[in-house]
Amino acid sequence: MRKTLLALAFALPLFAQERVTLIRNATILTVTNGVIENGSVLIRGAKIAAVGRDVSAPANARVIDATGKFVMPGIIDTHSHAGVEGSVNEVSLPNTGMVRIQDALTNDDISAYRQLAGGTTAALILHGSANAIGGQSQIVKWKWGRPVSEWIVPDAPRTIKFALGENPKSANFRPPEGQQRQYPATRMGVEEVIRKSFTDARDYMAAWDEYEAKRKRNETAIPPRRDLLMETMADILRGKIDIHAHSYRSDEIVMLLNLADEMGFKVRELQHVLEGYKVAREIAKHGAGAGTFIDWWGYKAEAYDATPYNVALMLRNGVLTSVNSDSDELARHLNHDAAKAIKYGGVSEEDALRVCTINAAKQLRLDHRIGSIEAGKDADLVIWTGHPLSTYSRVETTFIEGEIYFDRQQDLARREANRKEKEERLKKEADDAAKTKKERKP
Amino acid sequence: MKLRRLVAFAFLLSSVTLYADAPGVYALTGATVHPVSGPAVANGVVVIRNGLIEAAGPSAAIPPDATVIDLAGMHVYPGLIDAQTSLGFAAAPARRGFGGGGGGGAAARAQTERPAEPTPDFLAVRNANISDDDAEARRAIGVTTVVTAPASGIFNGQSAIVNLGSGPIESRVIKSPAALQISFNPRSTWTYPDSLMGVVSYIRQTFFDAQQHVAATEIYGRSPAGLERPRESAALDALRPVLRRDLPVVFVADSETMMRRAMAIAKEMNLRYVLSGARGGYELASELKNIPVLVSVKWPTAPGDKEEREEQPLRVIRDRQLQPTTPSVLQKNGISFALVSGPGKAGDFLPGIRKAIENGLSAEDALRATTIAPARIFGIDRQLGSLERGKIANVIVSDKPLFDKDAKVKRVFVDGREIRLPADDRAARDEAAAGAASPIDGTWALTVRTPEGNVAIQVTLRVEDGKLSGTFSGDRGAGDIRGGSFDGTAVDFTISAQNNEAEASDWVFRGTVSGDTMNGNVATTLGSFEFSGSRSK
Amino acid sequence: MTCHPERSEGPRATSAGGASPSARLSMTVLAALLVASSAFAQSTILNSTGRKGTFAIRNATIVPVTSAPIANGTIVFANGVITAVAANATVPADATVIDGTGLFVYPGMIDSGSNVGLVEVDSVAGTVDTSELGDFNPNSQAAVAINPHSELVPVTRVNGVTHLVATPEGGIISGQSALIQLAGWTPPEMVVKGPTAVHIRFPRLRSAPISDQPQDEEAEKELRKSYTRDVDKLRDILRDAQAYGKAAAARRASQSVERFDRDLILEALVPVVEGRVPVVMHANLARDIRAALAFADEFKLKVILSGAQDVGRLLDDVKRRGIPVILGPILSLPQREDDPYDLLFTNAKTLHDAGVPFAIQTSDAHNTRNLPYHAASCAAFGLPKDEALKAVTLYPARIWGVADRLGSLEVGKSASLILTDGDPLEIRTNVRQVFIGGEEIPMDSRHTLLYEKFRRRP
Repeated sequence: MRKTLLALAFALPLFAQERVTLIRNATILTVTNGVIENGSVLIRGAKIAAVGRDVSAPANARVIDATGKFVMPGIIDTHSHAGVEGSVNEVSLPNTGMVRIQDALTNDDISAYRQLAGGTTAALILHGSANAIGGQSQIVKWKWGRPVSEWIVPDAPRTIKFALGENPKSANFRPPEGQQRQYPATRMGVEEVIRKSFTDARDYMAAWDEYEAKRKRNETAIPPRRDLLMETMADILRGKIDIHAHSYRSDEIVMLLNLADEMGFKVRELQHVLEGYKVAREIAKHGAGAGTFIDWWGYKAEAYDATPYNVALMLRNGVLTSVNSDSDELARHLNHDAAKAIKYGGVSEEDALRVCTINAAKQLRLDHRIGSIEAGKDADLVIWTGHPLSTYSRVETTFIEGEIYFDRQQDLARREANRKEKEERLKKEADDAAKTKKERKP
Repeated sequence: MKLRRLVAFAFLLSSVTLYADAPGVYALTGATVHPVSGPAVANGVVVIRNGLIEAAGPSAAIPPDATVIDLAGMHVYPGLIDAQTSLGFAAAPARRGFGGGGGGGAAARAQTERPAEPTPDFLAVRNANISDDDAEARRAIGVTTVVTAPASGIFNGQSAIVNLGSGPIESRVIKSPAALQISFNPRSTWTYPDSLMGVVSYIRQTFFDAQQHVAATEIYGRSPAGLERPRESAALDALRPVLRRDLPVVFVADSETMMRRAMAIAKEMNLRYVLSGARGGYELASELKNIPVLVSVKWPTAPGDKEEREEQPLRVIRDRQLQPTTPSVLQKNGISFALVSGPGKAGDFLPGIRKAIENGLSAEDALRATTIAPARIFGIDRQLGSLERGKIANVIVSDKPLFDKDAKVKRVFVDGREIRLPADDRAARDEAAAGAASPIDGTWALTVRTPEGNVAIQVTLRVEDGKLSGTFSGDRGAGDIRGGSFDGTAVDFTISAQNNEAEASDWVFRGTVSGDTMNGNVATTLGSFEFSGSRSK
Repeated sequence: MTCHPERSEGPRATSAGGASPSARLSMTVLAALLVASSAFAQSTILNSTGRKGTFAIRNATIVPVTSAPIANGTIVFANGVITAVAANATVPADATVIDGTGLFVYPGMIDSGSNVGLVEVDSVAGTVDTSELGDFNPNSQAAVAINPHSELVPVTRVNGVTHLVATPEGGIISGQSALIQLAGWTPPEMVVKGPTAVHIRFPRLRSAPISDQPQDEEAEKELRKSYTRDVDKLRDILRDAQAYGKAAAARRASQSVERFDRDLILEALVPVVEGRVPVVMHANLARDIRAALAFADEFKLKVILSGAQDVGRLLDDVKRRGIPVILGPILSLPQREDDPYDLLFTNAKTLHDAGVPFAIQTSDAHNTRNLPYHAASCAAFGLPKDEALKAVTLYPARIWGVADRLGSLEVGKSASLILTDGDPLEIRTNVRQVFIGGEEIPMDSRHTLLYEKFRRRP
């Protein structure tokens, strides 16, 4: 009986039909547990099963020999606009918090594939910055080729985008013909929009509480209007939605943190936050994270005081700091930004790797699943030809949950096939068209 | 026959295309009858009386008071039902995608001359202004019944099903409202909602408001004392039958992702619904069980320029070639679907159906998809969609099987009355004006003078229906001319000229015709050159 | 100079013998910054120190570029010119000696297309001077509009980019570029060579390749009309320039030729149509490059290609005509959905393998400092590392005709060089000291000063 049970126990993984992969003999940058030379990673199904120097794999495992290569967790980008159909901005109103990125997701944006080719596996897709409160964002993994519903990370927290500074006050944007400039036009107004939204939300919650109370007392009552925007604001106050706030100037950062304390909400992460270094301790005190790009500056007045030493200063002040892209182009080489954290301010190599992986995962409250190479976490891994912080390295293979979503050799091999398919399809179309023309002539 | 011709000629300039006929009893004999409710019948009979079908079959008795119409060699069908049109409403302004803009605010995109946007309470039947030309164009391709609603706006209003016969619209209505139509059209920038995701929120919020409105008015109605009086709202009231699932919603959704968005909203609000457009349906056919689908047959076309065709992504090329398989894929998956024109014009409908047949749909299924299927989907199948006793006598006659390449609709009956087709008038007009060919018709030998030397190009031109068309051949490849126009003296047209390396670029000819000579300039990417030539025959 | 263990303490360079003048200088500058407003472009950092004396860097790895690296080498320069590069060069007695142990000496890098000096804050129109209005501005000279005191100048040079081709933008004929050094108190002091070229942004049928199903027939027609019109206009103006040049030459030869009023626009094009000043043709898609090359053939222009994403499809055309190619920005995206994801990274290797001369540009301003990383990305995808280095040193010097002075560490060339703690194409490398034309350059920038300021927040 025991023997049968044991046999069954070994057979079960096969029954479950989970693919097993062993990436062997690479330099493993675990991020949270140091560097393992000549190490291996065992992937079972979607999860990392084991990491170490002596990792054995079952006979049926797919073995990838990564000798001489480096393995690190997939890079996480907390500021992306890829994968959205139509405009990423609902420009019309100062607060469009009810509008959701998930309603416009699309899976045919080539940017997702190119990011995989650069080692980025997950992202927070958010609105642009046309509004003080822009709308609800979506955390995804770039599962290129899969239906868009599978891109959504199912247990990810709900998130919302706020924006401060020049963009929501339309400082540099002319209204379309026939339209007037809209409120707010100053940073003062931006604050008031946010303040009012939360004030109204409290009134909304109170109105519903009153209604519920009446119902309990069996009194006749008309339910208040169910307002999607107010529900969203209320959910923020209930701690159900994380705020990621685009911000630049130190004064507006302080404004938001103070407003948050006053009105009873929390800022999960400040983004861009180019002057974050000026108020790093205030940010740390509030407990907000910071996601920024290292060396873009000077494109707007509020970006003129940016300095690439921002990340180093914020990290040193205890701010959970990450690097993000806000750009389809930068999103495919965020490893560069991580390396720049070392160059500008002497951040350690370990911390530099953290800023593009585990720190971002923490900001998205998904660090139990992604952001480092540890047994039990999702197998979101990238094989690099050299150290990822070297500009001479490139990505060979990108895994998400144990599946290969990018492989350079496969990419190269597919090019000819794609070219041929295109040629054949176009030829068929041209032939059909010629045939139709011939048939049309009497 | 001669009498007929005279009558036809007499009606040339009149706007009344009614063929008044006293008794209203006809027997159509000798043709192959396609009842749809059963197999085709060779040499069948269809009897029409007082606007309805009295009999249809292999050997129906011909009533003594019937006017017998011998249709030997022809094919008789139920009039086609086009279940997605905006006939009678201004065309929606051409949208160039949903607009871009990341990071900062969207760039200004002023949209001029937009028609006022409809609301849920907008009734198509009250506002449709179907012109004679519109109706004629549809009848000429065999369509006798349309479902129509405006294409602009988000809540397009409540669609109406109307016969394309004669008489005021009240006498032609089959069903109104047919459905509530919703489209995912963002508004112009800085007007909520100006993004696709905003449109989704807007739709959801409207339905929540409708739910609240229903609850509020009901509670208030029962016992108003002490309660705040709910506001009046025609728009929200119009959504009541939708919430009750009495009135279906038609979501205009074309791509796979858009269809999924519609399905998510319908699920959340528990709506009865239909997906319309659905050219991306081939991608999710198996998930459309129990969801009726209206597939638009306005299939995408390839760019004219060879280099541009190669520039397009493979994804786009694939999709363009797979979209016309959607009807046959839906058929295989047992999905209830109809073929509709959607955003297409009348002239696109039959070619579009033919393309679906070329891509795997049988002609019988195509016929069902334009008759009984849309009738069932909109609940009018007891009145239309097949040639059966008791149904409305919308009948069309074609000279060949309807979906054959050069089949022509010859006769149309709507509500049991025959309506003249414009082709008859045109044939008469042409005969009357015989001999007046256009001064540009013929084959021309042209020489283009370039610094590299002379280039010889032959063009054969003809004017048809006011448009200049033709072909070219010679030193720069061969093909059709494009974009041609001729006003009697000035001519212009474009060819896709190929050089020695088979690279194509546009050559735009602009010249004047005088007798048998033509002169002008050719504009190319490498400059403007003179050309001249003469007619060879 | 010690091998500063605390790299994290900032990039400040020290010369032998204690706190450097630049360190002391910085304190003053810092104080000034605390008082100065954040008004744009008021860099308080010295443009150059004026110290052009004799310097020797000893015991460093010297990378001349034109020859093999010299381990434990010495480089000596005086009065702005390199006087010795060797394993055991003699160090003059009056030289300021810098200990290069564990460090590297490279030539200063050259960006072949940049807007540094022409823009301060992109969204503040008053500070933007890159694009003049109108389609045809061959007479616009970038050289006159350079702001030597822009904050971008120090930001750029402290990462080792010492020279760049300041390029005007916009329109069809944008204007004349100039090769500048990032040291100098007035524009003329900065200009090393000008004009380097006249820049033509060849008309494109579309701003982006066609992707979705084609939409509007009317709009398509309009696009084509407008494209043809633009090309015609360009052709006309070059023909006019030819005529103008001919008439001007005739008038110069003989006063009896009728006088005519001068036309500055056509005048600026005469050297172009006479083949004396090169034209940089900016084009990326194959169709546009082809049209541009055919155009250049028609007018017998001396062409340099810029951007050139699709150059791999036209190698023969480019090679046959002997056209050099400025690639970049490398850290950018291919234009078509179906373009290989690494197209922009592999173009350099493609050109290298085909023997086509090339160099690299950032086409940027605020991050021209990242030029070396554009080059490194090419090396990540097959270009040999030393070629990547040449693409930002020797090759641009050759293409812009200044290889006698710049682009490598050779005796007689300008002492424009950088002292680093590693390969400058690696991000983690720090540039310790920059010399431009033999002058020691302050290693402060707005960014380091802001860092210093806020490290000191009590």
